[in-house]
Amino acid sequence: MTVAPPPRPRTWPRTLAVWAVVAVITAIAASPLIGIDLGAGFGAIGKNWQNGVTKLVELFQLDWRILPRTLPPLLQTIEMAVAGTAVSALLAIPLSLWSARLTNPWAPARGIVRFVLNIVRAIPDLLYAAILVAMVGVGALPGILALILLDVAIIVKLVAEAIDAGSDGALEAGRAAGGTQFQINRTLALPDMWPAFTSQTLYVLELNVRVSAVLGLVGAGGLGLLIDEVRTFFHYDQLAVIILELLAVIVILELGSSWLRRRLT
Amino acid sequence: MSTERSNAGVGGSTPPASAPWSVAIDDVTVRYRNGVTALKGVSLDIAGGEMVSIVGLSGSGKSTLIRTINGLVPVTSGTVTVGGVRVDLARGRDLRRLRGEIGMIFQSFNLAGRTSVLNNVLVGRFSRTSWWRSLLGAPTPHDRELAFEALDRVGILAKAWTRADALSGGQQQRVAIARALAQEPRLMLADEPVASLDPPTAIAVMNDLQRINRDLGITVLTNLHLMDLARRYATRMIGLRAGEIVYDGPAASATDADFEEIYGRPIERDDVLG
Amino acid sequence: MSAVNARLGSVVPPRPRHWWRWIVALVLAAVVVAVFLALPVAWNRLGDLPGEIVHYLWLMFSSPDWSKLPEALWQTWRSVAMAWIGTVLSIIVATPLGILAARGVGPRWLQIVLRVVFGVVRAVPEIIIAIIILSVTGLTPLTGALAIGVSGVGTLGKWGYEAVETVPGGAVEAVRASGGRLTDEIRWALWPAVAPAFLSFWLYRFEISVRASAVLGLIGVGGIGDMLTSYTQYREWATVGVLVLVVVVVTMALDALSGAVRRRIMEGSPIRDLAGQ
Repeated sequence: MTVAPPPRPRTWPRTLAVWAVVAVITAIAASPLIGIDLGAGFGAIGKNWQNGVTKLVELFQLDWRILPRTLPPLLQTIEMAVAGTAVSALLAIPLSLWSARLTNPWAPARGIVRFVLNIVRAIPDLLYAAILVAMVGVGALPGILALILLDVAIIVKLVAEAIDAGSDGALEAGRAAGGTQFQINRTLALPDMWPAFTSQTLYVLELNVRVSAVLGLVGAGGLGLLIDEVRTFFHYDQLAVIILELLAVIVILELGSSWLRRRLT
Repeated sequence: MSTERSNAGVGGSTPPASAPWSVAIDDVTVRYRNGVTALKGVSLDIAGGEMVSIVGLSGSGKSTLIRTINGLVPVTSGTVTVGGVRVDLARGRDLRRLRGEIGMIFQSFNLAGRTSVLNNVLVGRFSRTSWWRSLLGAPTPHDRELAFEALDRVGILAKAWTRADALSGGQQQRVAIARALAQEPRLMLADEPVASLDPPTAIAVMNDLQRINRDLGITVLTNLHLMDLARRYATRMIGLRAGEIVYDGPAASATDADFEEIYGRPIERDDVLG
Repeated sequence: MSAVNARLGSVVPPRPRHWWRWIVALVLAAVVVAVFLALPVAWNRLGDLPGEIVHYLWLMFSSPDWSKLPEALWQTWRSVAMAWIGTVLSIIVATPLGILAARGVGPRWLQIVLRVVFGVVRAVPEIIIAIIILSVTGLTPLTGALAIGVSGVGTLGKWGYEAVETVPGGAVEAVRASGGRLTDEIRWALWPAVAPAFLSFWLYRFEISVRASAVLGLIGVGGIGDMLTSYTQYREWATVGVLVLVVVVVTMALDALSGAVRRRIMEGSPIRDLAGQ
C-alpha cells in the first residue's frame, strides 16, 4: 500500500523573490550613473591604495605628544555629554508620561507628542548640530542642544513603551479613589517607570559621549574640533591617539554603567 | 440601617456626620465598544448600611455592574444614583469628589508595588489633596493620621514604611482596605476581593469587610465567586446571569438550587471555599 | 504624633531614613551643576535662544525653495544607496562572525577575539571610521558605504551572538546527537530559530544606516549631508528647509516600511491553505 504524502508547501518562490529584489536593489545602488558607482570607487582604490596604505600604517605609529592637547577637549566632550543627559532626562519625565497610553488617556494629546517626537527622531544628531551651529554659532551650546534633541526622543520612546507594558491596576485604583491624572501619574506611575528610566538615561549618557566626540566636526564643541584639525592634515598618528583615548573613556563608562545597573536592580 | 460609628473608628477629629450611601441603579444597560452587552436593563436598589454580595459566573456582568457605581465604566443608558447624586452625569471635579467617598478594592489588590505601604494608603486621600502636595509627596498631618489609623484598623501599622510588593497577598489586600478606609467612605465596593487569596486569608479579609459594615455602618457591595462566602458574609444577595439580575433575596437562605439557577450549571467543587 | 499614638492600637513604626540615597542625589546634582558652570556657554544669553530659533525656523519653512527638490531627492537616493550597500556588506560579514562568536558554537579564543573586535568597532563613531578609510578610498560614496558596513559589523555582530545565545539548546543538541557537523547544526537547527530575529536586526540596522549616511555626507562623501553642509554654510535657509523636510519624510517613510516588515516577520505570515489549489 503506497502512502500519499501531503503536498509540499511551496515557500521557495517567495524566498527567491525576496532575494531577487534585494539583489536588484543592490545592483542598482552600486551602478554608475543611477547609483553611487562602486566601480569607480574600487577603481580609485586601485590607484590610491599604496598612498592609502602608507597613511594607514601611520595609525599604528601613535604620536603621544598630542596627548596634553587632547585633554581639555576630551573634558569638554564629557561635560557636554553629562549636560545633555541631565537636561534630556528632566524633559523626558513629563514627556514620557504624556506619550504613554496608561498615563495619558487622551489619544489626540498622545498622538501629537508621539508625532512630534517621531519627526525629531528622523533627523540625525550631526545634522542638528550643523544647523544649530549656523543658528547660534560655534561652541558647546549647539552641541548640547543637538544631544538633547537626540536623547529626549530615545528616552521617551522606550520609557513610554515600558509604561504601557506594565500593569495598570494601581492606576485604576487611583482613579477609583478620585485622583486626578496628575496625581495618579506622580504617585503611582512614576515609581514604576523608574527602572526603565534610569536604564535609558545611562544608555543615553554612553551614547552622548560617542556622539559629542564628533559633533565638533561641524563646530559644535568637544574633541571634534581637534579631530577635524588632525584629519585635514592627515595626521593619522595623532588621530590614532585620540581614538584610543575615546575608546578608553567609553570602556570605563560602559563598565561603570553595568556595575550601576547591577546595583540598581 | 445603623449610622452610628464607634469612637475608636476611623474618622480622626471630626466624627462622620451623615448616613452611609444608598445605591439606586435604574434600567442600566452597558454596551462596550466591541459590541458586547455586559448589562441589560438592570435595576437595583440598595439602602445605606446594607452588606450585599453579588454572585454570578465570569462574564455575567458582575465586574461591570460594580464599576458603574463609581463611574469607572460609563453606562450606555439608564441612571446610576449614589447617595442621591447621579453618577452617570458627574464629570471632572464632581466625579472625583464622588469617587472620593466611594472606596474600592480589587482582586489583584492594585497597589503600587515600588512604593511604601503608607503612600499606597494615602492614595485614598487623593480627592482631598492639592496638586502641589501630591507633587512634593507632602501629605497634611491630618491625612497622615488618617492613614495610620486606617492601617491600624486592619492590623498592619507595623508595615507602614515597607515597600508594598514585599508583602504577602493577604497583607496587600489589607493595605488596599486601609486605602479605602482612609477615604472615610460612605460606600465600599469590592470586586472579587478574595479570589487571589488562600482560604484562611480569604476569611480574614471577609471578616474585615464585615466588621467595616457592622462597626462603621458603611454600605458594602462585594462581588464573590464562592457560594459559602456569599451566603455567610452578606445580608442580601444579588445573582447575575448574562447581564441580568436573576436572584435578589436574603443571603443566608439562598439554596444550592438557587445558585444553580444563577450559574446556569450544576455546582462544582471550586464554587465553595470549604 | 503622641496624640495619634494614644488613639491607635499599636505604635507607629519609626520612619526609615535612607541617608545614602540623599547623598547620591546630592553628589549627582553637584556634578551636574559643576558641569554646567564649567561649560563655556553664555548662560545669561539663554533667554534669547527660543526667539532666535523661532526666527530661523521661520526662515527655513515659511517659503521653502522647492526648485532644489529634484537635486535633494537625487542626493537622498545616493545616501540611501550608500546605506543599503553598507548594510548588505555588514550583513554578509557579521552574520557568520556573529554566530561564531556565540557561546557554544565556536572555540573560546575566537569568541573573545570577535567580541573585542565588535566592541571596538561599535565604540568608534562611524565618521571616524570614514575618516580612516578615506585615506585609501578618497571622498567617494564607497567610503560612506564601507564606513557604514564596518560599523554595522559591530552592532549586527553583537546582536547576532546575543540572539544565538538565547536559543534553547534543544534543536542544536538533536542535530549534534544524530551526528551532524557544525555547519549542519547551524543550517538545520540554529538558523531557523534565529532567522526571524536576524531579519529584524537587519532591517533595524538599515534604519540606522540611513541616518548615518546622511551624517557621513557632512565630511564630503556625497549624499544629502553634503548638500546640507554647503547650503547651511552659505546660510541659504530656504533650501535648508527643503532639505530638512526631505530627510524627515524619507527617513520616516523608510522607518515605517521597515517597521511594517519587521512586525510581519515577528508575527509570522498568515497560514495558507495547502490542501486547496
